[in-house]
Amino acid sequence: MDFVQNIPFFSIILSMFSGIVSSVLSGKNAKRLNTFVVFFVGVMSFVLFLYLMQKGESYIYRMGHFPAPWGNEIRAGVLEAFMAFFFCVIMLCSLIGGRKHLIKEIEENKVNLYYILVNLLLSSLLALIYTNDLFTAYVFVEINTISACGLIMIRQTGRTIEAATRYMIMSLLGSGLLLIGICLLYDLTGHLLMSYIQMEIAIIVEQGMYTVPIILAIAFISIGLAIKSALYPFHSWLPDAYGYSTVSSSAILSSLVSKGYIFLLIKIFYRIIGFAIIRDSKIIHILFAFGICGMIMGSLGAIKENDIRRMIAFSSVAQIGYIYIGIGLGTKLAMTAGIFHIFSHAASKALLFISAVGITDASNESKKFADLTGAGYRNMIAGVGFTIGSLSMVGVPLFSGFISKFMFAQSSLQVPGKMLPALIVLGISTILNTIYFMKTVIRIYTPAKESTYEKIRFFTNLSYSVSIICFGIVNVTLGLWSQPIVEMIQTGLDMLA
Amino acid sequence: MSKNILILFSIVFPIISGFVLLCYPKVKDRKKIQIYMLGVFGITGGFVSNIITGRAMTYTLYEFMESIPIYFKIDNMGRLFASLVTIAFILSGLYSFGYMEHERNEKRYFGFYLIVYGVFLGLIFSGNIVTLYIFYELLTLTSFFLVIYAQTREAVMAAMKYMFYSLCGAYMALFGIYFLYQYGTTLEFTPGGVLDPSLLQGKEEFFLFIAFFMLIGFSVKAGMFPMHGWLSSAHPVAPAPASGILSGIIVKAGVFAIIRIVFEIFGADFLKGSWVQQVWMTLSLITIFMGSMLAYKESIVKKRFAYSTVSQISYILFGLSLLEPKGFVGALFHTCVHIFVKTGLFLAIGGMIFKTGNIKVEHLDGIGKKMPFTLWCYTLLSLSLIGIPPAGGFLSKWFLAIGSLESGISVFSWIGPIILVVSALLTAGYVLPITMNGFFPKADWTYKRDELRKVMVIPILILTVLAIGIGMFPNRLVTYIGNIAEQLL
Amino acid sequence: MAVKMKEIFLLIIILLPFFGGACICVIKPKRQAYLEIFVETIVLLTSFLVFYSITHRPESSLVVFEFAANLTIAFHMDGLSATFAGLIAVLWPLATLYAFEYMRNAERKRSFFLFYTVTYAVTLGIAFAANLVTLYFFYEMLTLVTLPLVFYTMTREAVLASRKYLYYSLGGAAFAFIGLIFILSYGHGTTEFVLGGVLQPENLGGVRNTLLFVYVLSFFGFGVKAALFPFSSWLPRAGVAPTPVTALLHAVAVVKSGAFAILRITYYNFGADFLRGTWAQDIVMTAVIITILYGCSMALKERHLKRRLAYSTISNLSYLLFGAALMTPLGLAGALSHMVFHGIMKICAFFCAGAVIKQTEKEFIYELDGLGRKMPKVFGILGIASFSLMGVPGLCGFISKWNLAKAAVLSDNPIAYIGIGALLLSGLLTGIYMMAIVIRGLFPLAEVNYGKQQVQDPNWYMILPLIVLTVFIVYFGLFSKPIVLLFENIAKGRW
Repeated sequence: MDFVQNIPFFSIILSMFSGIVSSVLSGKNAKRLNTFVVFFVGVMSFVLFLYLMQKGESYIYRMGHFPAPWGNEIRAGVLEAFMAFFFCVIMLCSLIGGRKHLIKEIEENKVNLYYILVNLLLSSLLALIYTNDLFTAYVFVEINTISACGLIMIRQTGRTIEAATRYMIMSLLGSGLLLIGICLLYDLTGHLLMSYIQMEIAIIVEQGMYTVPIILAIAFISIGLAIKSALYPFHSWLPDAYGYSTVSSSAILSSLVSKGYIFLLIKIFYRIIGFAIIRDSKIIHILFAFGICGMIMGSLGAIKENDIRRMIAFSSVAQIGYIYIGIGLGTKLAMTAGIFHIFSHAASKALLFISAVGITDASNESKKFADLTGAGYRNMIAGVGFTIGSLSMVGVPLFSGFISKFMFAQSSLQVPGKMLPALIVLGISTILNTIYFMKTVIRIYTPAKESTYEKIRFFTNLSYSVSIICFGIVNVTLGLWSQPIVEMIQTGLDMLA
Repeated sequence: MSKNILILFSIVFPIISGFVLLCYPKVKDRKKIQIYMLGVFGITGGFVSNIITGRAMTYTLYEFMESIPIYFKIDNMGRLFASLVTIAFILSGLYSFGYMEHERNEKRYFGFYLIVYGVFLGLIFSGNIVTLYIFYELLTLTSFFLVIYAQTREAVMAAMKYMFYSLCGAYMALFGIYFLYQYGTTLEFTPGGVLDPSLLQGKEEFFLFIAFFMLIGFSVKAGMFPMHGWLSSAHPVAPAPASGILSGIIVKAGVFAIIRIVFEIFGADFLKGSWVQQVWMTLSLITIFMGSMLAYKESIVKKRFAYSTVSQISYILFGLSLLEPKGFVGALFHTCVHIFVKTGLFLAIGGMIFKTGNIKVEHLDGIGKKMPFTLWCYTLLSLSLIGIPPAGGFLSKWFLAIGSLESGISVFSWIGPIILVVSALLTAGYVLPITMNGFFPKADWTYKRDELRKVMVIPILILTVLAIGIGMFPNRLVTYIGNIAEQLL
Repeated sequence: MAVKMKEIFLLIIILLPFFGGACICVIKPKRQAYLEIFVETIVLLTSFLVFYSITHRPESSLVVFEFAANLTIAFHMDGLSATFAGLIAVLWPLATLYAFEYMRNAERKRSFFLFYTVTYAVTLGIAFAANLVTLYFFYEMLTLVTLPLVFYTMTREAVLASRKYLYYSLGGAAFAFIGLIFILSYGHGTTEFVLGGVLQPENLGGVRNTLLFVYVLSFFGFGVKAALFPFSSWLPRAGVAPTPVTALLHAVAVVKSGAFAILRITYYNFGADFLRGTWAQDIVMTAVIITILYGCSMALKERHLKRRLAYSTISNLSYLLFGAALMTPLGLAGALSHMVFHGIMKICAFFCAGAVIKQTEKEFIYELDGLGRKMPKVFGILGIASFSLMGVPGLCGFISKWNLAKAAVLSDNPIAYIGIGALLLSGLLTGIYMMAIVIRGLFPLAEVNYGKQQVQDPNWYMILPLIVLTVFIVYFGLFSKPIVLLFENIAKGRW
């Protein structure tokens, strides 16, 4: 066994323990520790990724003493490693970008608490990515939920507490459904390790037994995770949660947390149930339909918003709809598109959140559109960042959004029944995206009549500017050199099963 | 070749001289303008007389579009029209010397006058339909400036109306030309038509429609019902000599174009007996009657004569629509007569208005005391218009009636003559009162004798003589037209 | 390698104005004149290179970059590229010269010329695009780089206009995008522009109707930029931009890019043979005919000078699209000739309008009474441009109309016959709404008090482009044969 293979386990443990350590550190040191950990985990994941690319197949890492089928396992493939790496990059940038706000919005003695939560979140995300055990997954889903709740609530205003409560309730509902699904699967197969469940399921399906319970299990799991990842119509918790929490939290929540659940869902589909069975079940049609609705309704919600943060949050609903379309189309190419969109959306949405906060900073902290007039001139870098993010969301070539849109469209051609709805909704959604994002872009570049707000220069908040630049680079990179990533996703999907 | 280029000269020379007059700021003096005009008239007249007395010739300028050259051709029709037009233009031009003295911007007037003249010659000498169309369109746009000349609201609106109607007609014609380009063997005017029967197979109905479309299009300029609306507003607002030209000459562009397309593009045989011919006839007969009626009811002098033109031109159109030699002769003969008569009439009443400033019929009472000579000319011209022998008008109507009766087209053969007669009566009704009240005013009038200047009277006189003379010595002309008819039919 | 040189040239041509324009934001010229010299040099040099490249034509296409599999950015130079590139290469230096004078006292001149020059690069990118992906890429870019130009005055009106422009353009592109996807999937993985199309109709079978539907979608999608009814209302609104922008971009570069894209997908991707005689053709042709008439009628109603011209553009662009909808080689030739000729005439008309606005600050037609007497050159040229737009023979508008009608007659399609009627009716209406302007200017109803301000013709910066354009109008009107032959050869793929 190569030493590198320890990385997944090590990353999870590292981030978890750093969380525990943070509890005794001062806020500043906790921040330093956290930055280091995220950075380090990112580097390690990248190393692992390179290793796996070279190796060309996934490996199983046994946790603890017991061998399969009893023990706990980690399974790492190319996709998982890259996902971990990418999540670290986004998380790092988001934290750097929102640092100044964090200090402003959180009581000083709670800063280290925040970093504890971030660390926990990271570890749970990593666990969701790597684990090969269904119950472990469930445990970390809960940890994830709790830490996310904390991230929302840590900015203590009435709004956030309400939002966190709502998030909690919805999430627990989702977790509950997930748990029922897991129980059903366990009942049916007697296993918790994913690979073994799959073998059993294959046998059961072949014998034609237990069709209803299997369908039910799939349905419960899908709906549970769909609630947690805010698929329309289970999105009601999302705008408040993303709209009012501190900016780093919003960025992390929108671009990472919900993606972690989606990734888990994909993993369950591929590794546990088997994609062929999923395709034959009707469940993907439902996901597809919800995705389609989400694309439209999310955008419509965003158009109605008069608050820039909530608008971006609503846009997430639409974007998650895209991803579910990818799953719902039920082809490998579509799934690739969905996963690519996880990356692309993470890069764009975090960028949007971070730059939106820069824009509101330059507008006297107001999030109302009327006050944003001319903010693009007052805070150049935020304006540019927001424009890039918006263009990516609209799907203009050069930026990552175009590639995912392109891939969705192309993959939809393989599914005759869903082709036209997917394509037309894609078109309409583009128009709707244009309407609200470009409206904002034009708004921030409309000169204000009298501007009493201060100008924010590039160097006054260097870390902020750097984070926006990083996001921009990530975005354009995804947009221009997508080919290797797409290929990687495809090999990763093969390894996933 | 060396002689053929004369055609080009005769067209381009007046146009260029017109532009020079418009653009060259030095010539301001009235005398100088008049001398200049005389010179241009002289030279162009020389060209034209040289061309029409010479042999038949053609001239190709260059290939304008693929397989469509700008192409000029002199044939008998062209000769006839060119001479008529030249006479009318030069006489009206002379008259203008006197008339324009009380107007501003006479330079602009004369400039466009020359351009219109050149363009009209171009129209007449055109050898294929695209060339004809080009000059037809240019004619609209240049004569537009004669209409708008007074720059009053009325004039501007009238000019716009004129342009709208004319363009409308021109584009209808163009619609047909697009099709002819594909379905004709050539676009050159060829007696008997150019349609390619093999291509036409199965599309005859469609081409009848096209022919009708073009016919209607070109007859806009000839003021045929229902496209006559522009005439009564455009002709009166222009200065009198320009009205003369518009009413006497420009409307003939429509007639000329119709002759060209009916007899030399579609061919009379193609249309004979079709619904197009019948509709055409009906429309022209309606116009004859309606024009006379409108003129009869109109009290503004110039408008009255504009309506009269509407009616008279449709005599010509009716003659053409018979599609047989007698009618054709009558039509062309009436063209000659009408050019002289209507130009003369407009010049005469223009003179009256010029002297009195009154534009209504009832205000011209007693004008005969003031300008007896003008009124005499007017009266003689009127007689020709009504068609009282031996004036020219009689003969043309005679031919028309005979042609109509001989054509044997069911109802029309006898309705035609009846309408001609009725219209003649109406004509008498609207022209003669001016004479009567002019010479015999109801009340006492204290007009002093105040005749027009010689330069204005002489053109009127010449036109009167021509209008009467053509009726008294018609033989050569009738033979000449008969030859044309033989060629074309 | 030496052979490849010509291909690389295409890239250089695009990059030159791009980086030249970008330089403007770095350098801060001490005097205004330096900026002007710099910009004009860049633009002239680019135009020169374009013509050099047209005469020394690269044979193959140049692959620059690959986004992803199949998503290739590549350039080439075929007949259509040469036509479009040649057109804008002639107009751009003239418009730039004009813009110097028009923007003489404006603020933020540098950013104006920055985007103005960069737009040149992007438009050339559209012209040289060797496949639909590249075209689409530059098409989207075009929307973005021209947005600041529409937005330039930053008034509330400009904000609304640019918003609308953006929504429409990007929205249209979203549907054109669907076409791109289908071409990519059914065109054997390539969207390359091949005359006759990349689809192989015999292999399509069941998706035939879907493809036709997609064609209609993308026709309308690209049609947004070509101001196809009912997606045309952005164009008159965009008239708030400074006149050089309205003239060059909203009469030529931007709107023609839309039409150009339609020509590309119709003749080079879907293939005219595949589309001809289908219901898709009927739909698009009907839409085009409606647009022709809609544009004219709206122009007739409009009392704002530039907006009237914009409506006229809407109608005229659909002449061009009519050529596309005919789906015959002659239709393509007609469309090309109208693309070139309309570009020249309309930019000329817009420049005249701009000169009037610049000299008198009058924007409405009823304010123009008698101005023609004070500005005889401008109004004279406007008159010629109007005549040409009407289609008076002897001027270039007649020629393109003739070519379109010729193609329509030969197409043997009843709707096309109606289209000819629409062309002519539109010519008639054009006559009314354009001549109404000229007549007002030259023949005022009453004596007009011009106030103290001395109104006169603008200086040579503005007059020179006008005269050059007028010469083109007349020249092509009289001696159209070689260029029309060229277009026909292009349309038959023989160039």
